[in-house]
Amino acid sequence: MSWAQAILLARGASRGWGGICSTALTGAPFSQVPPQAPRGLRCSAAAHNPDSSLVPHPPEPPRRPVKALAVHEELFRPALDGARNKANFVRAVQNFTEYNVHKRGHVDFIYLALRKMREYGVERDLSVYNLLLDIFPKEVFRPRNIFHSIFLHYPRQQECGIAVLEQMENHGVMPNKETEFLLLQIFGRKSYPMLKLVRMKLWFTRFKNINPFPVPRDLPQDPVDLASLALRHMEPDLSARVTTYQMPLLKDSPNAMDPTETHIVGIQSPEQQSALARHDPARPIFVEGPFSLWLRDKCVYYHILRADLLPPEEREVEEIPEEWNLYYPMQLDLAYGRSSWDDYEFNIDEVEEGPVFAICVAGAHDQATLAKWIQGLQETNPALARIPVVFRLSGSSGELLPSSSELEEPPPPPPEGQEEEEDSQQRQQQGQS
Amino acid sequence: MSGCGLFLCSVAARFCRAPAAFTVIRRPLLTSPPSRAFAKELFLGKIRKKEAFPFPEVSRDELNEINQFLGPVEKFFTEEVDSRKIDQEGKIPDETLEKLKSLGLFGMQVPEEYGGLGLSNTMYARLAEVIGLDASIAVTLAAHQSIGLKGIILAGSKEQKARYLPRLASGEHVAAFCLTEPASGSDAASIRTRATLSADKSHYVLNGSKVWVTNGGLANVFTVFAKTEVVDSDGSVKDKITAFIVERDFGGVTNGKAEDKMGIRGSNTCEVHFENTRVPVENVLGEVGGGFKVAVNILNSGRFSMGSMVAGMLKKLIEMTAEYACTRKQFNRNLSEFGLIQEKFALMAQKAYVMESMAYLTAAMLDAPGFPDCSIEAAMVKVFSSEGAWTCVSEALQILGGLGYMRDYPYERLLRDSRILLIFEGTNEILRMYIALTGLQHAGRILTARVKELKRGNVTTIMETVGQRLRDSLGRTVDLGLTGKLGVVHPSLADGAHKLEENVYYFGRSVETLLLRFGKTIVEEQLVLKRVANVLINLYGMTAVLSRASRSIRLGLRAHDHEVLLANIFCSEAYHQNLFILSQLDKHSPENLDDMVKKVSQQILEKRAYICTHPLDRTS
Repeated sequence: MSWAQAILLARGASRGWGGICSTALTGAPFSQVPPQAPRGLRCSAAAHNPDSSLVPHPPEPPRRPVKALAVHEELFRPALDGARNKANFVRAVQNFTEYNVHKRGHVDFIYLALRKMREYGVERDLSVYNLLLDIFPKEVFRPRNIFHSIFLHYPRQQECGIAVLEQMENHGVMPNKETEFLLLQIFGRKSYPMLKLVRMKLWFTRFKNINPFPVPRDLPQDPVDLASLALRHMEPDLSARVTTYQMPLLKDSPNAMDPTETHIVGIQSPEQQSALARHDPARPIFVEGPFSLWLRDKCVYYHILRADLLPPEEREVEEIPEEWNLYYPMQLDLAYGRSSWDDYEFNIDEVEEGPVFAICVAGAHDQATLAKWIQGLQETNPALARIPVVFRLSGSSGELLPSSSELEEPPPPPPEGQEEEEDSQQRQQQGQS
Repeated sequence: MSGCGLFLCSVAARFCRAPAAFTVIRRPLLTSPPSRAFAKELFLGKIRKKEAFPFPEVSRDELNEINQFLGPVEKFFTEEVDSRKIDQEGKIPDETLEKLKSLGLFGMQVPEEYGGLGLSNTMYARLAEVIGLDASIAVTLAAHQSIGLKGIILAGSKEQKARYLPRLASGEHVAAFCLTEPASGSDAASIRTRATLSADKSHYVLNGSKVWVTNGGLANVFTVFAKTEVVDSDGSVKDKITAFIVERDFGGVTNGKAEDKMGIRGSNTCEVHFENTRVPVENVLGEVGGGFKVAVNILNSGRFSMGSMVAGMLKKLIEMTAEYACTRKQFNRNLSEFGLIQEKFALMAQKAYVMESMAYLTAAMLDAPGFPDCSIEAAMVKVFSSEGAWTCVSEALQILGGLGYMRDYPYERLLRDSRILLIFEGTNEILRMYIALTGLQHAGRILTARVKELKRGNVTTIMETVGQRLRDSLGRTVDLGLTGKLGVVHPSLADGAHKLEENVYYFGRSVETLLLRFGKTIVEEQLVLKRVANVLINLYGMTAVLSRASRSIRLGLRAHDHEVLLANIFCSEAYHQNLFILSQLDKHSPENLDDMVKKVSQQILEKRAYICTHPLDRTS
């Protein structure tokens, strides 16, 4: 395969590309195009779009810097309206292909575009990925004989193609028929990008729903909504109720920065409620936290209200009352018991933990805010008024504090004389942090 | 009205002789006191022939009398009761109720000295066949006397009986049974209604509400269950249930509006509220704190009559659908000529025959002297008859096609009415638990005793056990003595009898294995218990049918060959069902699908939804 042939092919492909691109952009389903007839397609497409591919001398960019990369950077300069959206991204790509019929430096451009995708918010858009793949000249990099396919044919280009697919994978974008068709045209069936695609098609379907606790793709922006989502995510009981104990103050209100006026959202299930009602008031319960929960790229900090496990000698043995069921006996008076031969279960060592009575997500992690939560809980749990509550707040919420400390106030030193459990709390803090 | 009164007197007089006649017949049937009930012995793989064979009879005199009494009742129900109107208006007309009272139907089981008819259980079952023609009336009457006033008969003192029963028997007062609460169905511990003893200890103050009280709007006398504080023998104060007889006139008794129900719309069901109702101490039913036993006894005693009630309804239904099938023509042939239609009639007849046999066998067992405990049998009758009613009515609707669905015809009403049978008086699921667990408890006790003997080294027990195992492993044929020279089953039913014997024997073995495998934890194995109950119901049905058909052949009753056919069909079907269930019971849960069934339901209940993705969904 001579270089001349390759260049010729590339030139032909570049002409054909206009047609393919326009078809893709107008939204016609690509799979309808017969994959074996790229040339025929090119001809017809060219007939339809004479302006894009048949322009004899495309206008050169006004100034031509020495370094190609700079040119590409130029393409991604903010547009006149300044918006960074899909339309502008597509325009940038189109500009590259229009002004660069020889596709010089297209690999660099694709790498650059991949980096820019997040800025333009198109990193999850399949059609944009297809558009990027479309920049590659067609038929040029296809292996022509067995040696081409044994040895990496056009390695840089293939790597670039893999990079595009890789980024798709990272953002969970499933390739479609059009992607496959493009790769087929660009690299041929026996190429590494194609292998990657086949693997993606195999495993994506299997991994897509592997998470039994799916998180919605677009997380709510409102902290209260996000908090209730996080709470629902943690609480297995579907009858649990989410309560907003305090709404955050509006941004423009005078004391918006006052940390005591942030949101407090809590969840509690009826079972937890009754467990709290049964709790022995002589034993204190603890507010612990903050613990972190990651929902996609957002971190939410939560606190729990929990008690220590009862020592075994104080645990009430749940006995079956004699007069319980009106219809049938609840226990049999038998001497038979199951022996170890009848035990088919695996031997599982379970660590028992104390009961958790409620969970909350608050904007601030100081004791004043959490005390408000406890106050709010008292409305539905009157028993809470009699139980001493100990705040065991750890010093920091971990290393992964977001840089903007708007939500995450650095935990203040324990306020003076707020609760009677002051000293014990300090002790706990030391122990925790 | 005076005429009615006279009639009542004459009926009462005629029935005065009944008990004497009963004791005369029964004595040869039951020479020994019934220490063990029939069904419990089945769990040990044994058939107590004396209990079930020969099929019980009533004397000729008694039969004549009940037939004489049945005449007017039957006439009244076929001619004067307008079931359609009762269903549409949701109320039994007052004149119908008056007539029922004058017929004495409000006091069928009240002893004669208190002005009731004093019917035996067998007689009551016979009468229930007629009453079952209208479900609303049947339920109203059953709520009145099967549960409403039953407490006074079973646990009431002489004074209480003398005070309440005469007026209840005459229908002047209607009784209701108040047990269910919003938070408490079969769970007695969660009853919230509370009765507190007043300072002068002369009366209790009752507070609380009861729901779904049948006759709640009509009743003047309520049997109410409430929590009271009882001082235990060791001095601790405990909450225990006590039963009270509460009159509406005590004050503070109100009821909500009648519930709008799917079926039995003519019966009155509503909430009843008690607010500071003052109940005199002498109105405590049974002992203070003994209400639980009273409730259990009342509930257990009221069930067997459903069998004959449903059978009566089914007989009528067969008549009506047969009429239709023989006149409706399709493709120039009557519907009755099609095999699929014929099959449904056979099914209906078979179910009716089995439940009738079971009901009367149970009634006779209950009538036997010495308060036999037949609660398992009664529960089996209830389960079988309620499910039979539902399937048969549904099959009848299939025969009728679109006609059965129309409100102009009575069939859809029968369907709606029969649905409640599976639910009330203890849902069938709960009764299955009762049947299985009570039997297993009995079997467990006996088997434990035997295991102890074995451990002690009792030679005869060891020899017996070893011999039994040996014979089992050699694959012997089971012979429990139902057939043969001294057999109680007629030779033409020998096939069915052998099947019953085989089933009973291997059921006994299965029960033993189950007890060994699960021990006490079998209480939690509801799927296993359901199977045990199903086998037992089949076995009891087979016994009843074989016993009855044998009697019919021996006496040469009309159409006994038809009975033989029905008996053989049922025995054969039940035998194969039993074999299947027993093979499932012998397997462990991974093999009999129980594990999978549980897993599926757990996953669904965790999500509280159907969790499969839509068939049209895709991942890419």
